[in-house]
Amino acid sequence: MNPLNSVGHREPRVDALLRVTGKAEYTGDVKLPGMLYARLLRSPHPHARIKSIDISKAQALPGVRAILTKDNCDTVWSSGDSLGQRKLFNNPLRFTGEAVAAIAAVNRHVAEEAMSLIQVDYEVLPFVLDVDKAMEEGAPEIHPGGNLSPNNQRRREPQTYTRGNAAKGFTEADRVFESSFTSSHHNNAQLELRTSLAYWEGSKLTVYASTQGIVNCQRDIAKDLKLQEADVRVICHYMGGGFGNKNQSHDFDLFAALLAKEAKAPVKVEFTRKEDFVAVHGRWSSKQQYKIGVKNDGTLTAIQMVAKTGSGAYRKSSCDLSGTEIYQVPNLETSTTPIYTNTAVAANYRAPAYPQGVFGIESAIDDVAYALKIDPLEFRLKNMTRKFRDQTPYTSFGLEDCLRKGADSFGWKQRWKPVAGSGAGPLKRGAGMAMGMFGSALGRSSAVAKVDAKGNYSIHVGVTDCGTAAKTTMGLIAAEELGVPLNKVNVVWGDTDTCPYSVGESGSRTTVQTGDAVIQAVKDLKKKISEQGMPKGTDEVMVMVTTNPAQIQGASRQSFVAHFAEVEVNVETGNVKVTKFTAAHDSGRVVNPLTAESQVQGGSIQGIGMALHEELRYDQRSGQPLNAGYYGARIMTHMDAPQVDVLWVETEDPYGPFGAKTLGEPTIIPTVAAVANAIYNAIGVRMHDLPMTRERVLAALQGVKA
Amino acid sequence: MKKISRRLFVEGTGAGIVAVAIPLEGQAQSAPAAPTTASNAPKTTIKLTINGQQRSMEVEDRWTLVEVLRDHLQLTGTKIGCDRGECGACTVLVNGKAVYSCSQLAVWMDGRTVQTIEGLAQGTKLDPLQTAFIEHDAPQCGYCTSGQLMAAKALLNSNPKPTREEVRAGMTGNLCRCSNYNHYVEAVMAAAGTLKSGGAA
Repeated sequence: MNPLNSVGHREPRVDALLRVTGKAEYTGDVKLPGMLYARLLRSPHPHARIKSIDISKAQALPGVRAILTKDNCDTVWSSGDSLGQRKLFNNPLRFTGEAVAAIAAVNRHVAEEAMSLIQVDYEVLPFVLDVDKAMEEGAPEIHPGGNLSPNNQRRREPQTYTRGNAAKGFTEADRVFESSFTSSHHNNAQLELRTSLAYWEGSKLTVYASTQGIVNCQRDIAKDLKLQEADVRVICHYMGGGFGNKNQSHDFDLFAALLAKEAKAPVKVEFTRKEDFVAVHGRWSSKQQYKIGVKNDGTLTAIQMVAKTGSGAYRKSSCDLSGTEIYQVPNLETSTTPIYTNTAVAANYRAPAYPQGVFGIESAIDDVAYALKIDPLEFRLKNMTRKFRDQTPYTSFGLEDCLRKGADSFGWKQRWKPVAGSGAGPLKRGAGMAMGMFGSALGRSSAVAKVDAKGNYSIHVGVTDCGTAAKTTMGLIAAEELGVPLNKVNVVWGDTDTCPYSVGESGSRTTVQTGDAVIQAVKDLKKKISEQGMPKGTDEVMVMVTTNPAQIQGASRQSFVAHFAEVEVNVETGNVKVTKFTAAHDSGRVVNPLTAESQVQGGSIQGIGMALHEELRYDQRSGQPLNAGYYGARIMTHMDAPQVDVLWVETEDPYGPFGAKTLGEPTIIPTVAAVANAIYNAIGVRMHDLPMTRERVLAALQGVKA
Repeated sequence: MKKISRRLFVEGTGAGIVAVAIPLEGQAQSAPAAPTTASNAPKTTIKLTINGQQRSMEVEDRWTLVEVLRDHLQLTGTKIGCDRGECGACTVLVNGKAVYSCSQLAVWMDGRTVQTIEGLAQGTKLDPLQTAFIEHDAPQCGYCTSGQLMAAKALLNSNPKPTREEVRAGMTGNLCRCSNYNHYVEAVMAAAGTLKSGGAA
């Protein structure tokens, strides 16, 4: 791969100084004159009908300026569900924590006092928390029409994929294996609390949001408040993480706008950490069943997956499962059925459909490899995908190198035990691995490029930089194309008044899609300069481009990844410690190896948390969330986090900015499965349920003894 | 029913251990007879030193330290990630020791010295920790960074040459959901001069 001048070098972030001095202004830091603070009153019941709400005492409290409830607000929050029907205030209430009233007051203490003065008369309804029970005859109906959640075409049917004929594939197999796996709802849990600040100037609305996509947020707010997009300005200069749950407008953006209108003053809505866990969303849970047909030599003949996923009380995202696509198999059938329950809503969290699906298929495949006495690494090298859906070639393909070079770097031969569970104990070590892939499609985005008379360049992009270093990435791409150092490029971002459309930081698309727009903008700018010369005095030369490349015909563009984990399992306590972790990634050319390393290490460590301890639990009798918060949900800490060794497998890809492919989401895709397979190698017992807590590891070990 | 004030709550329990037992706010049905409003809330005058500057100020007894810093002194570099002593985003130094400022009442600061992220650099001269955080890409989203820096500062104050394990233990009260823990530890060790060459220690 030919080296470049700016791209491919370890560059600190362009905004790092502001981030380490406390000067980066996050949404919650913005304060406007006369600003009011808002709080939400929420349902204490998992399923209830509001008979009446009495706000009179709250209204009478000095300092209360506006109260919204279902009685005076029927605004639809269209990105709140895939049908575009979810309202800000719903009746019946379908999960513990659903919004009942929003209150704006002169300070947060008064708003909190006012909350306790609102009297709600609830008719408590029967509820259901489990996807299987929700599909039983006579189960409480969460939405009219039943608990099988309709897709965005309003059809109540599973999401399916078929190639070949699985039944035929199983008859051709020497052996057929069946197994099942479950995963839990767990939360994105970004550090920044949910907040939004809105104010009106006549019919013009400005929202300081915390969003991964300022333009998407602007579009959604305009739609739901029936405004022109040009009349809605969304600003987000710094935001404290999102991991997929901030790419549309949120109900708090709408609450802020509506309360501000009612109170005729700027309103800041703030959610508590508990509200973030129960009332926004997390990754959907799953129950997965696999049937795998294989020849004695390890050739796959058929894979069938039948799954249910838990969408929670509303269907906000696909609730699909991925994973089986990483295998070459002539006969494949998958079916995923999203189901409503009276629990927190599930939606996008970093590679939304992947880590739990890959946990299932990669655990099932691991069992097959052991049963056939084939090294799981060799089994994967034999059966890994070579063409997308066994049909379409890849634009570049680094999966085999991720497996081979990753295994070498990790020391697979030395660490993996041919006989699972063969260590002496009580501390048993074992190694496991898993692989994955993630689409890296081209797509529409825009960019503005400018130069002034002094030769200072500016790039305007509609990104917010949720922590991925997107601003720096855009700056590096522009610098490379301009042939100037990074410090000559000023990146302007995070404000719909000054920045054009960007896809939003979801689907790991910014580097590729907005990066392509930046390259084109710079090319056009250079052309314009060559035609009319550099600007003079206070003039600028400026271009704006929108790139919308045609989708690649006859080839599929994907990023690939293989993760390798070594664990130490204490068979007396059930504790699992990750002792070595290697992440091998093919994301094409790596634009900034320093910040990309942060992405891989962070995604992997998040995945280890998902594997070992994170879940949102509910009391089965009351429907109350039990552990909504950092401490209870056991997210990863400094002490939990192992060193993650990052290995780049840089393939040359003909598309994307300088051949860069997707990175952010692949970093978590195979992590959970690699840890699960390492636990199996250590203890010789298969873990079927996420998270693999100490209690579950001990129970699994005792199951063997019994 | 006896009214539980914010002050009694914070004093009585400290942090988030009891959070599981707190019902959602909607369950609080019995209204207090005389709600405490901004105008009649009990207040106390305190004297304290913040980032080297002596101040005297009147605070409501229910205000937390982080609330005073962010809302009343415009020191918004200190963040709130949970407001219940779980995440460490609000870490500041009180008399040189790292504390969660969401779990400290402002009235307790009378006579104390508080250092926040805004007081870490000496003018334009960055603290070695800040330089190392930039070079090692410690902040991703950056929201936990102020807290991580102050926790690291407290650690190096008491242990100038920590091992990797000591850094992890010293900072484990500071969550990073971007999970950039590897780079945070590297950066602290680089600042302390104990990072072995070649990146990871």
